[in-house]
Amino acid sequence: MTDVVSAAERVKPQGGWTAIRTQGLSKRYGPVDALKNLDLEVSEGEVVGYLGPNGAGKTTTIRLLLGLARPTAGRAEIFGIDCQRQPVEAHRRVAYVPGEASLWPSLTGAETLHLLGRVHGRVDPVYRDELIERFDFDSSKKVRAYSKGNRQKLILIAGLMTRADLLLLDEPTVGLDPLMEQAFRHCIHEARERGQTVFLSSHILSEIEALCDRVGILREGALVEMGTMAELRHLSALTVEATFDGSVPDLTGVEGVSSIETVGRVVRCQVRGSVEPLLQALAVSGVHKLLSHEPSLEELFLAHYGQRAETEGATADAG
Amino acid sequence: MPADPAVSAPAPAGRSPSTVMARLTAKKAVRSGALWGCFFGICVASSALTYLSSYKTPAAREKLVASFGSNTALASLFGPAHQLQTVAGFTAYKVLGFLSIVGAVWGLLAGTRLLRGEEDAGRWELLLAGQTTRRRAAAQALAGLSAGVAALFAVTALVTVVTGRSSKVHFAVGEALFFALALVCSAAVFLAVGALASQLAATRRQAAAYAGYAFGACYALRMVADSGVGLDWLRWATPFGWVELLQPLTASDWLPLLPAAALVVALAGATVYLAGTRDLGASTFPDQSNAPLRPRLLNGALGLAARLMRPTVVAWGAALAATAFMFGFIAKPAGAALSGSNSINRVLSHLGAHGAGAKAYLGVAFLMMSIMLGFIGAGQVTATRAEEAEGRLDHLLVRPLSRRSWLGGRVLEATAVLVISGLGVGAFTWLGGASGHAGLPFSSVVEAGLNMVPPALFVLGVGALVIGVWPRATSIVIYGLIVWSILVTLVGGFSNNNHWLLDTSLFHQMAPAPASAPNWTAGGVMIAIGAAAAMVGGAAFRHRDLVGE
Ligand SMILES: Nc1ncnc2c1ncn2[C@@H]1O[C@H](COP(=O)(O)OP(=O)(O)O)[C@@H](O)[C@H]1O
Ligand SMILES: [Mg+2]
Repeated sequence: MTDVVSAAERVKPQGGWTAIRTQGLSKRYGPVDALKNLDLEVSEGEVVGYLGPNGAGKTTTIRLLLGLARPTAGRAEIFGIDCQRQPVEAHRRVAYVPGEASLWPSLTGAETLHLLGRVHGRVDPVYRDELIERFDFDSSKKVRAYSKGNRQKLILIAGLMTRADLLLLDEPTVGLDPLMEQAFRHCIHEARERGQTVFLSSHILSEIEALCDRVGILREGALVEMGTMAELRHLSALTVEATFDGSVPDLTGVEGVSSIETVGRVVRCQVRGSVEPLLQALAVSGVHKLLSHEPSLEELFLAHYGQRAETEGATADAG
Repeated sequence: MPADPAVSAPAPAGRSPSTVMARLTAKKAVRSGALWGCFFGICVASSALTYLSSYKTPAAREKLVASFGSNTALASLFGPAHQLQTVAGFTAYKVLGFLSIVGAVWGLLAGTRLLRGEEDAGRWELLLAGQTTRRRAAAQALAGLSAGVAALFAVTALVTVVTGRSSKVHFAVGEALFFALALVCSAAVFLAVGALASQLAATRRQAAAYAGYAFGACYALRMVADSGVGLDWLRWATPFGWVELLQPLTASDWLPLLPAAALVVALAGATVYLAGTRDLGASTFPDQSNAPLRPRLLNGALGLAARLMRPTVVAWGAALAATAFMFGFIAKPAGAALSGSNSINRVLSHLGAHGAGAKAYLGVAFLMMSIMLGFIGAGQVTATRAEEAEGRLDHLLVRPLSRRSWLGGRVLEATAVLVISGLGVGAFTWLGGASGHAGLPFSSVVEAGLNMVPPALFVLGVGALVIGVWPRATSIVIYGLIVWSILVTLVGGFSNNNHWLLDTSLFHQMAPAPASAPNWTAGGVMIAIGAAAAMVGGAAFRHRDLVGE
């Protein structure tokens, strides 16, 4: 191979390295197009969210970036290093945290951290101990005795303790309780401050919203949106359900409110942007009960990209 | 909002949840039992047919009786022989001992896999959730396992009865059924042993190890009972002894079925009882869930592999050393018993062994130990594949470790284990021989030990190839290769006209040292082919997706 270039010889491009670059990256599993023609660029120091419902192709993308799977077409680079041809080089700069991990059941937590640290080659021991404390992790037990949440903490610590230049996180908070999720968010903020690049996949909108500068949205293997959180604000809607004491007011025309359904004394609607106008409209009509929740990603996708008619019907029934 | 339909839906597709555990266990057990039933059937049929073609005249049969009928050296290896002048007696002698061992190993592995393994994998948790008690679940799983034994019996019995219909073989239907029953007896007992061990241990591996100890003890008792030192009554103390006492096809004694049935019932009862006294996923014996940091080996993938394989290698090593010592110890009297008999020498010469006395005996003993070595190699291959299949390899390969170093390291480590095992077998045989005054030259037994290594290395090389090109088939190809080789060697050893067939056996490619000089050329060729296969496998492994189960 002639195009193998050592890290020192590579010239740093203007405006910083590109941490991740993919060109036409595609993966087929038999008849399934798991990933279609992905062109993605993530600059050094960015925190990028990768959002998509289950089966959208998030894990496939990350496994291709790590060289665990071979692309059907296209290529991928990490800091200018080809992911398929020079995986070892690329991996020196990467830490990966999967959403579900099977580890060696007979090793203890501490032994697993020791092993994975040695294989990686570079660990910040002070930070590791801090992470163990922060996640309230008991590292003296054997892996087989850990709950799902504790195993997740273990691989999170193993990934974060390397302080790698690029963190590839594939739904890393699955199984963590809310307190630990808070600790995780803190770690990502720290990573951003240190200039690390973070690529975070998730199917939970709020998690991405809270952490990321930019978001890519993946649906059925294709990247359908890519932009800053502000650019994608139109996606973030709130479902509000209000029950009234007396007569039900007409909410049509209230700013940001759409998809209004009325059943008896209950009104359901979607709110985009500020809830202020809706609250003002409700305040004058004697609200007895007010519920609101963030729509699931699936609901959002239904609202924004349309879906086959039967799915829409089914969702309406369920509501 | 209405309740989420996914939560309240009953377990799998509308069927009664109350027997789901029995059905799921039965499905897996029956598939496996039927498959092994085919193997049992093939063994029975091929033994009967081999006998008919190899020992045609009454004179030839009488000679067979004279040499094998009362030979204690062979009895301690293969079990006692009755009525070898009949196809029935020969078939029973030929397959009963061997298939009892195969059946017992199947039973203990299936029992621990379908109980402890499924529980470890978390599947019981899903199924159990509020549907039934742990005791009922265990009882259902036992019912599923017995369906597996029933399948094993049904297929074995079918083939045996059909074989028996042949006018030359001529087993009565009742006798054939009883024979099939005797063949699956140890499988039933050790399935129950595996089920009980699954309640005692904290992991499937540990459960299999407990069941394995029970197996070893029972087998050792059987060997002592059959060694002709006046301890025949010990046969009543071991399931393998009961199987012999049944004397299927010759005397058909029902009495030894009683202790076997009683033991199965007792083990099943204890299993159900213990299942209720512990939590799901927990063990009856205290499990060390906290452990001190022992990072000595954990400096990389090689050290990790060494750490993971240590318990298995130690157990195999102890078993090999004990077996080798015992063979060495009894080599002198056993060899003397052999040398008087022409027919035995003829059989040995089919296996490739020449000469007489202790060395001829050890030629056969080393053949058996080389099969053990083949299994060690196969175990290394499947353990390597399991790291990938179960997703643990991901954690290593996403770090700066190349696939080539990982797979190459595993292969080299396994190679070292096999070479050391071969040398160890030689050394312990010599030690046993020295204790038994057999006067074996050190160099020739150690050479014989090394001579067993090439077939095992071949297994390793083919294993690396399959891991590279067809990972999901690794276990089936590797164990298929070994079982095929065993079958061919055992059948071929007693017949004269199957040289092309014999050549497909790994173990036949190896000279039967120390009965003859090791054939280093053949060994070298096997290693070269194995190495080439491993290279191809390694290249393929580097260019494919990692794949799960
Ligand atoms: N190893 C595989 N074999 C076959 N199909 C796969 C495999 N891995 C993923 N897929 C399919 O590819 C699609 C994308 O999966 P995945 O990347 O895991 O989605 P996500 O991580 O977004 O939930 C799914 O339809 C999935 O069934
Ligand atoms: Mg995924």
